[in-house]
Amino acid sequence: MANWTSASKRMLGRTLSAETWLPTEMPEYAQGFMYMLGSLTASSFVVLVITGVLMAMNGPDTWSYNGTMRFVAATHFWAVQAFFFFMMLHLWRVFFTGAWRGGRGLTWLLGAVAMLIAIPTAFTGFLINGDLYSQWNAVQAKDGLNALGLSWVNLTNAGQMFGMHVVVLPLTLGGIVLIHIVQVRLKSVVPPYPELKDRKER
Amino acid sequence: MRVRDDVVQQYHLVPEDFVKHLFSTLVLVIVVVLLASLMFGVPEAAPLTIKGYASKNPVAFEQMALRALDGQGAIASYGPPYNGGSGSVQTRLQSAIGIIHPVNAATDFILKPLAMASQINPAIGRTLRQFRAATPAQQGAWESAYAAALNHGTYQHGAVVTPAGHFGPLPALMNDVLLLGKSGLMSGALMRNGSIVTRFDNQNYLLFLQGSPMHQAAKPLALTGERWGIIHPAVPGYPGAWWMTIPTWVYQWSFVANNAAADALALSIGFLFWLALALTPWIPGWNRLPRYLGVHRLIWKDFYRSHSGEPPASDEKDRKHAS
Repeated sequence: MANWTSASKRMLGRTLSAETWLPTEMPEYAQGFMYMLGSLTASSFVVLVITGVLMAMNGPDTWSYNGTMRFVAATHFWAVQAFFFFMMLHLWRVFFTGAWRGGRGLTWLLGAVAMLIAIPTAFTGFLINGDLYSQWNAVQAKDGLNALGLSWVNLTNAGQMFGMHVVVLPLTLGGIVLIHIVQVRLKSVVPPYPELKDRKER
Repeated sequence: MRVRDDVVQQYHLVPEDFVKHLFSTLVLVIVVVLLASLMFGVPEAAPLTIKGYASKNPVAFEQMALRALDGQGAIASYGPPYNGGSGSVQTRLQSAIGIIHPVNAATDFILKPLAMASQINPAIGRTLRQFRAATPAQQGAWESAYAAALNHGTYQHGAVVTPAGHFGPLPALMNDVLLLGKSGLMSGALMRNGSIVTRFDNQNYLLFLQGSPMHQAAKPLALTGERWGIIHPAVPGYPGAWWMTIPTWVYQWSFVANNAAADALALSIGFLFWLALALTPWIPGWNRLPRYLGVHRLIWKDFYRSHSGEPPASDEKDRKHAS
């Protein structure tokens, strides 16, 4: 039986190395704005975490009567928009470049899971805002969850939604995004398709 | 050639400052977010409160309260997870999970709040006792008659007035609910937990208003499902949850929209769309589509231009960086 410690050591050695995380060279094809979209998405997530922590540590309703917290809430709102905007552009880029090729299927799958988890992460944030949009979405979306047997997720319970939004979902999303990025760093970004004429010559 | 191997083998590595790259994207996002926040602030549509609704729509408020009392309201007859009704049961799974957030609309929304108010105003207690002392059949007869009369109700001198009829204590009872609603105290009566003093759970407040009051507030803002409401913001001009466009589109399909299990169906179909996306690498044909769409030629325009004269890699050992 293989030595688990040795195997873990090898894997962590690669995953945690400065060579993996601080490259000084990149493939020539991975240049320009198209290759900033993933980083822009991750950067938006960082801004979301910072602004979200600021709101959580002050209380979820402070934005409604404190001007500074209202501004923080605004930054959180626009960071969500930035996050999804860059994520969708990133998704288009990786789709059109067939980014799953060369053994990168898991990287793609993790990205897709991150996108799926991001939706309830954002949604629960809207629910704890406490305005008409929160109210409407909570009572409307509850029917779908109840129908799917997910009624333990009580969208009309602001306390449960607060826990989901600031702990459960962002930690899950952050973890998946982290593994997604680890995969990108270990496997690098997908090389271009060979030209069709090249394939005929083979 | 297998899809997984359909990659060029020869390319160069070029110098890169990765840390600078990351800081650049972070600074870019921070600047964009700060600018947007300064310029546009945060969208906030004032919530629909019980006090506000009762004050502005006294007759409709009484009609809603009466539906909670007589068991005709959406929550009163909902079914699991709230109660034993069947009005909003879409799947067997929903029933199987059971009643895990129990709500008795008549008791929790109307009778208990009135019982609390009767501590302040004993007259409410007398009316309440008269209603409770009646048989269920008598209560039902009063409720039916008063529901019909409320269709012709008007608000005069602080109370809802209807044509005369045999309503028992209901007009007084419903006007007491209206006064409670207008006072703003009803929210406290609905969000109760006798065991603890924190108020995390606002379920009953939201469920009390969830029917016609919420729809009335949502319609002018095009927030309802049949009008692509899921992706619309409550404050016009701001972006909403536009990333939900596909599930919102599914809701517009007539066989979904007209299905008794519309929500379960729409979310399930939306999930299938996601599943197709997530499994792209392993779906034959679909996983080769991008090569034939040709968008990659634009994205890698410079690469293809600079490599147009190079011979193709011929075997496995060429599969490395030609740095």
